[in-house]
Amino acid sequence: MDKPVTGTKKVFMTGNETVAWAALAAGADIMFGYPITPQNEIMHYWTRLGTKYGRDFLQTEDEISAGFTVCGAIIAGKKAFTATAGPGNTLMQEPFSMAEAMRLPTVAIIQQRGGPSSGTVIYSQQEVTLTTYGGNGEGHRIVYSTATHQEIYDYTIKAFNNAWKYRFPTFVLGDGYQAKMREPLEIYDPEARNIEMVIPSPLVGLPGRIGIEREPQHLCNIYSLEDELYEVVLQLQAEYDRMAPELEEYQCRECDDAEILVVSHGVVSRSADDAVRFLRAQGIKAGAFRPITLRPFPGRALREILQTGVKKMLIVESAYGQLARLLQQEIYGENVPVETLLMPGVGIIDADIISKVKSLIH
Amino acid sequence: MAVNRALELLRSSKKVTLVDLDFVEPFYTLRGLKPFLQEQGLTVIAWGREDSFGLGETGSLVTPPARWAMWRSGDIILDVGYGAHGAASLNLVEGALESEELKVWAVINTARPMTSTVGDIVDYVQGLQRVDGLINNSHLGDLTTIEFVAEGLLIVRKAAKILNLPVIYTAVEKRLEPELPVADLGPSPVKVISRYMPAARW
Amino acid sequence: MIQPDMPRTWYAPTKPHKFCPGCGHPLILKALGEAIDELGIQNRTVYGCDIGCSLLSWNFFALDSTQTHHGRTTPVMVGMKRARPELICVGYMGDGGGYSIGSQHLVNSAIRNEKITLILANNTNYAMTGGQLAPTTLPGQKTETTPFGRDPELTGHPTMGPEMISSITGEGAYVARGTVAKYRQLKGFIKKALQNQIEGNGFSFVEALSTCPTNWRTNAKQTWNWLEDKMGAFYPVGELKSPFRKEG
Repeated sequence: MDKPVTGTKKVFMTGNETVAWAALAAGADIMFGYPITPQNEIMHYWTRLGTKYGRDFLQTEDEISAGFTVCGAIIAGKKAFTATAGPGNTLMQEPFSMAEAMRLPTVAIIQQRGGPSSGTVIYSQQEVTLTTYGGNGEGHRIVYSTATHQEIYDYTIKAFNNAWKYRFPTFVLGDGYQAKMREPLEIYDPEARNIEMVIPSPLVGLPGRIGIEREPQHLCNIYSLEDELYEVVLQLQAEYDRMAPELEEYQCRECDDAEILVVSHGVVSRSADDAVRFLRAQGIKAGAFRPITLRPFPGRALREILQTGVKKMLIVESAYGQLARLLQQEIYGENVPVETLLMPGVGIIDADIISKVKSLIH
Repeated sequence: MAVNRALELLRSSKKVTLVDLDFVEPFYTLRGLKPFLQEQGLTVIAWGREDSFGLGETGSLVTPPARWAMWRSGDIILDVGYGAHGAASLNLVEGALESEELKVWAVINTARPMTSTVGDIVDYVQGLQRVDGLINNSHLGDLTTIEFVAEGLLIVRKAAKILNLPVIYTAVEKRLEPELPVADLGPSPVKVISRYMPAARW
Repeated sequence: MIQPDMPRTWYAPTKPHKFCPGCGHPLILKALGEAIDELGIQNRTVYGCDIGCSLLSWNFFALDSTQTHHGRTTPVMVGMKRARPELICVGYMGDGGGYSIGSQHLVNSAIRNEKITLILANNTNYAMTGGQLAPTTLPGQKTETTPFGRDPELTGHPTMGPEMISSITGEGAYVARGTVAKYRQLKGFIKKALQNQIEGNGFSFVEALSTCPTNWRTNAKQTWNWLEDKMGAFYPVGELKSPFRKEG
């Protein structure tokens, strides 16, 4: 069978279409999904392209089912993924919790929309708390917050590889703007770029006769005694802490001598970069810090940057404090005063950030 | 493409109506542009952003005037998106599919992976059923080079030959206009266009 | 030319409504409005709608109304009715909200014989989100997530909702399937479904075969063809369960 993407190709498409191509390139075997705006087109492209490359699809009865069918396919040893948004993301927390407990490498693309409840179908950054710490667990997840279509492609492929390598539920956190805008990017065959593609393996239906060549596999996510659970959760945390340094990613623009540090993630970081460039040209010592992994959060890196003389931090997000809370738990104890520009469900442009920074300096 | 064609027709001071029939990916529709286009003198049949307020998922919605667009005088441009049903979207406009005056042009961007090869374009256009011509709109947004447009044209022309359809024109954005004289974009006409869609993001 | 009046229970400030030309929803909602008028229950009826095109009806009626979540209209109306039994609780949803994400609520409410009235518009697709597969999509029908036609081997056969409900619900329930192609009959079913709740007999459910030319991409003739010949042949119209004397 042909590879869906060979070599490298310059293309122009929407974020949703990009996800479908990336999942194909990453060798995803099956997608389970349910309609919810603004991610429907991921399913539309997957159902059209998947048949050409022997990939499967099922539209489930709802998002709870989409999450659990993904878990099932993974337990059986296939690369499975789903995509959702808003209320669908809320429903998927139950299956994601099971994935956390059972170390299942689920991959989910979240295209944030306005919240809470049905909110808007458009855009927000209001699913940060949900995607990083949703469910009844401790947030043992990998969460990538993308800002460009190139990153959607790169990180969707990375999501599959890191999910299967480290065995934590992995998320690509996009939003309605990224989903629907069209941008140029390069799609490529990851193997041609020497990216190691992880081969999936099953937890059930293993080769060998039970009782003769092997023992039966008994998987669970519930324990009888408090002490048992305690050990399990500490073990999860230890694994998570061990892999965190390998996974943390961030970007820093003009941070070295920054006095005011603008912190943002996802598409807002593009506006932050533009704002910082403008402010610097005016002689204002602004810098832009952008966590790419929201989980594990690059807290250590941020602390180091804060200690180089940052006088003030401005947290900018299209939510009411979800990034701020995430960040503040990571840098607790640092003395830098924190200001915020919080615009839940609303896009943020460089002009918004520039005027806020100027108001803080004067 | 539809917006540019409508504005072009408007310059010859004709009465021009632009109709939004893009359902499947409705974000990329005329809604956001409606006020601006109406200021230019265009009649735009589409829900405005404010009208769509409160309509939740705000997916596929046809406005009643869209159904009867063909009854209007002057020039009419129907902006039809894609979908599993292809050009059957024209069924929603009374008299469109049967109309002899109506020309159905498929806009092809070879930068879109599903229409980047001759074979794919042929399959795609055949899937649309009724198509009268192809437009080469090969571009990569801000990264477009004139060479890319020309390469796209070669592919589109080969597909057009197989389909026995004309290439109506090649679209080149204003930014690249200075490079036109040396570019190899013949023999089909070239139209210089402006990209309005980023403003129409939602 | 004398035109029929809008039902009094329709909310005039939100007319003309925003449903697509040729959509079946306004017909169903007219039948509902007229039935409420005729039964004189406007002031104690509460209306709930789902996500999807039914959402367009959230401010459609001169009734106390609420929007809910996708598939959750049924439990919200159940909660309302259990809290205030004197209210006439009417839930409105599509084939997705009823038979897909809402199916567990529908099934369990039917089994418990909840004394609410549910009306479900069946137009064989998820319309508002762009025309994806629905439980009631017909075999071979193209949708955005079955671009090559629905294959029952892969996605099962269409859901026969009223048939399922009537076989699991309790005594005193009313279950029917109507069609916008037979307006008077549909209105009769809806009126009985409301009367059933007024009398406190049991669960009341009406599926209405409806049209979606926008997502079917059909002109007027093709639309009625699809509704009457294709859907009509697949989904039998009539009363499946009724505590009232049978009518011809």
